[in-house]
Amino acid sequence: MNFKSIIGLPILCFMLGHSASSQTLEGKVIATNGAEPLVGATVRQLGSIKGTVTDVAGNFTLTVDRLPVDLVISFVSFQPDTITVTNNSFLNLSLKEAVEIIGEVVIQSNSTFFDPLQPILSEVLTEKELEKAACCNLSESFETNASIDVSFTDAVSGGKIIKVLGLDGKYVQINRENLPNIRGLISRYGLGFIPGTWLQSIDVGKGIGSVVSGYESMTGQINLEIKKPISNEAIYFNAYANSFGRTELNFNRAFKIGEKWSTAFLLHADYLSSTIDRNEDGFQDLPKTRQLNFLNRYAYNGDRVISQLGIHLMIDEKAGGQNGFGFGDDLLTANAYGFRNDTKRAELFGKIFLTFPDKPYKGLGLVYSLVTQEVAGGFGRNIYRGEEQSIYGNFIYSNIISTSFHQYKLGTSLLVDDFDEVYKDSVFQRKEVVPGAFFEYSYLGASDLSFVVGGRVDEHNLYGTFFSPRLHAKYDFHKDLTFRAAAGRGYRVPNAIIESYQALISSRELVVEEAPLPEVSWNAGGSVLFNIKGKDGYQVVADYFYTTFENQLIFDRDRSSNQLAIYNLEGRSYANSFQIEVSKRFSEAFNVKGAFKYYDVKRTINGRLRDAPFISKNRLFLNASYATRFEKWKIDGTIQWFSKKRIPDTQDNIEQFRRPGFSDPYTLVNFQISRGFRKGSVYVGSENLFDFRQDNPIVDAENPFGNNFDSGLVWGPVAGRVIYVGFRYKIKAKHE
Amino acid sequence: MIALLTVSFSVSAQKNEKKVAFKSSVVCFMCKRTIEYDLTFEKGVKSVNVDLEKKLVEVLYNTKKTNPEELKKRLTQIGYSADELVADPKAYENLPGCCKIGDEVPHKNFEELDDHK
Repeated sequence: MNFKSIIGLPILCFMLGHSASSQTLEGKVIATNGAEPLVGATVRQLGSIKGTVTDVAGNFTLTVDRLPVDLVISFVSFQPDTITVTNNSFLNLSLKEAVEIIGEVVIQSNSTFFDPLQPILSEVLTEKELEKAACCNLSESFETNASIDVSFTDAVSGGKIIKVLGLDGKYVQINRENLPNIRGLISRYGLGFIPGTWLQSIDVGKGIGSVVSGYESMTGQINLEIKKPISNEAIYFNAYANSFGRTELNFNRAFKIGEKWSTAFLLHADYLSSTIDRNEDGFQDLPKTRQLNFLNRYAYNGDRVISQLGIHLMIDEKAGGQNGFGFGDDLLTANAYGFRNDTKRAELFGKIFLTFPDKPYKGLGLVYSLVTQEVAGGFGRNIYRGEEQSIYGNFIYSNIISTSFHQYKLGTSLLVDDFDEVYKDSVFQRKEVVPGAFFEYSYLGASDLSFVVGGRVDEHNLYGTFFSPRLHAKYDFHKDLTFRAAAGRGYRVPNAIIESYQALISSRELVVEEAPLPEVSWNAGGSVLFNIKGKDGYQVVADYFYTTFENQLIFDRDRSSNQLAIYNLEGRSYANSFQIEVSKRFSEAFNVKGAFKYYDVKRTINGRLRDAPFISKNRLFLNASYATRFEKWKIDGTIQWFSKKRIPDTQDNIEQFRRPGFSDPYTLVNFQISRGFRKGSVYVGSENLFDFRQDNPIVDAENPFGNNFDSGLVWGPVAGRVIYVGFRYKIKAKHE
Repeated sequence: MIALLTVSFSVSAQKNEKKVAFKSSVVCFMCKRTIEYDLTFEKGVKSVNVDLEKKLVEVLYNTKKTNPEELKKRLTQIGYSADELVADPKAYENLPGCCKIGDEVPHKNFEELDDHK
């Protein structure tokens, strides 16, 4: 780690300043490690909302009303810094990456924060936050977050999906470093394909996203930053085991290869071979799983070119269903009702970024990926096989209009997505070719108001033109009181079979009434963020979003308990989402965060506007964390309360197989203690500590091949309490 | 007899904690961080504070678990002197540049970053 650059800063504080009125300061902000310029870092005058952002070369110009002045420099996933400037010589500033704090030197920073600069309401979850949920992959990463709900899809597959703004997570664009990631054939189980130990930070943008990454961010945008080749963490090793018998090993390695090249290897393996049937209904509560996951990338940091190239390979296998069904069994010939889901994924990805040393505000970038993925398996006697090949490229040019207050991005993208699926005896084929173009103008000036207005046009070979206009605005009423607003339209093309899996592990017959059309939604909303700083500082964030669908693919389980009918929306479908979150810092060691959420989600199902199934209207969330200095001891607990959820209609069943119209309200508690050491930590914890389980989650579990079987009416946990232990071992990179 | 034992026990619980300070070759904020981080995880250490102005490393420790000699030894192992003991030369070499003596610059203002005090 290069501490030298940060040490350069304080010298500034000691330079003898001459006091003057209005002064123009110029400087550059870089990352402490690697000296990469930080694009879009905020430089702000302390105690005022006067500020600016750095351009693509990390340079900034800021007019201040006096000298000396305190400047606050901040950037997403970096440690904010405050310096005193006494004269107007060129400032060379550097920020340390927030990840460097973990278990190391440096400051007790917040584990989550709202990006103060972004006109989009965007919360950043740092590694410190992500470590609060020790298991296992992306689906657990949101357990300590109030904005994102995680729920099980059914009682057999163990699949978890997220819900945002009261709607399915498929309406959120989940990118890995700005490349489309969890979509297409892996949109259901994909959260399990991102190991938690790979994550460096997660940006959660609520509401409609930016046009730059495509048309799909209908209700939000989640960007996953994974561990970088240039890292302070040379070696990271983690082992984990839980009370179900799941074991997990993770190994990360990052190092430099010569002057300009560096690489990172990320490895993950997990294994669960035991039969878990705690409710003794003859069905495994969780499938047996085994996964190997590998990512390797190379980074080149030249003077004019910054480039990355990487590969991701993954194989994940699940075998579940009735007890006794395992990896060696065949769905068609086994006596037991089985579940198999084997996913293979290979991805080649990269980015190239060109800088212009003489025009530092200009940038030219290309991000691209080539993906092939395959899902094979099925449930009962129903065999599914899907293949998807996709090519994605996004070409972005950024520049300014006269000053860096007026920034714009324009570019073109291409998505080729080729699907080939077979379910039972039906074949579904689709080849999408979608060229697109976008333009986004940002006013990120020093005034109270900033906004981003953008639009994109995509020419879909099957569905015609998609036009997605979007607007985001932010107004700083006061330095600690910020209003945001957003509105825009988004699209996505559904994958009917994969997305109906959760309802199909049942005796329901799939009835595709018409060819699915793209889903189109408008989303609008706003938020208020109120900050009271100081020793007993607290923060209040309230947001409200409204989503309405022009078209939505309806998965109708209400019409008949023997059917899953799929058709395009006829009538209205909307979601109102309100959330208020209060976080308070009681002391350096003790933080509490509480949230209340209200959802009103209605859609026209079988000709009737009614509550969407499996949504709690009200939810309460409380998280408390206590950490001693340098996290030698860390205790974290979360309590969540969910109000009742509507269950699809089962009145047409014979009495013993009917279900109530609504679920019971329930409470979940998670808890973790960790003890830090110089080079890592040991942790023990529990998810669902009080072992809450949904009674009898499967309808007619005794007769899975009969006419009443349904594993899809799941509204609560099936497997119950998990207790886990694990350790992390980290070796720092050598000082340069 | 029992009363006496109880008294001596409670006294020794108090007595088990002792504060000690070593003169050390600390230079800057980064040194303060390095030492405070490292000694926090040293066996028997309750709390650590590095006073940059007085160049003192102050440690509150459990006398049953460690002793000043151990603490001093650890300081030298991570590249700093402790009273009469000199720093381990290899560890010193590996310190960030700013923490080496001679590279001295004033870092007073930087202290405010420390733990958001």
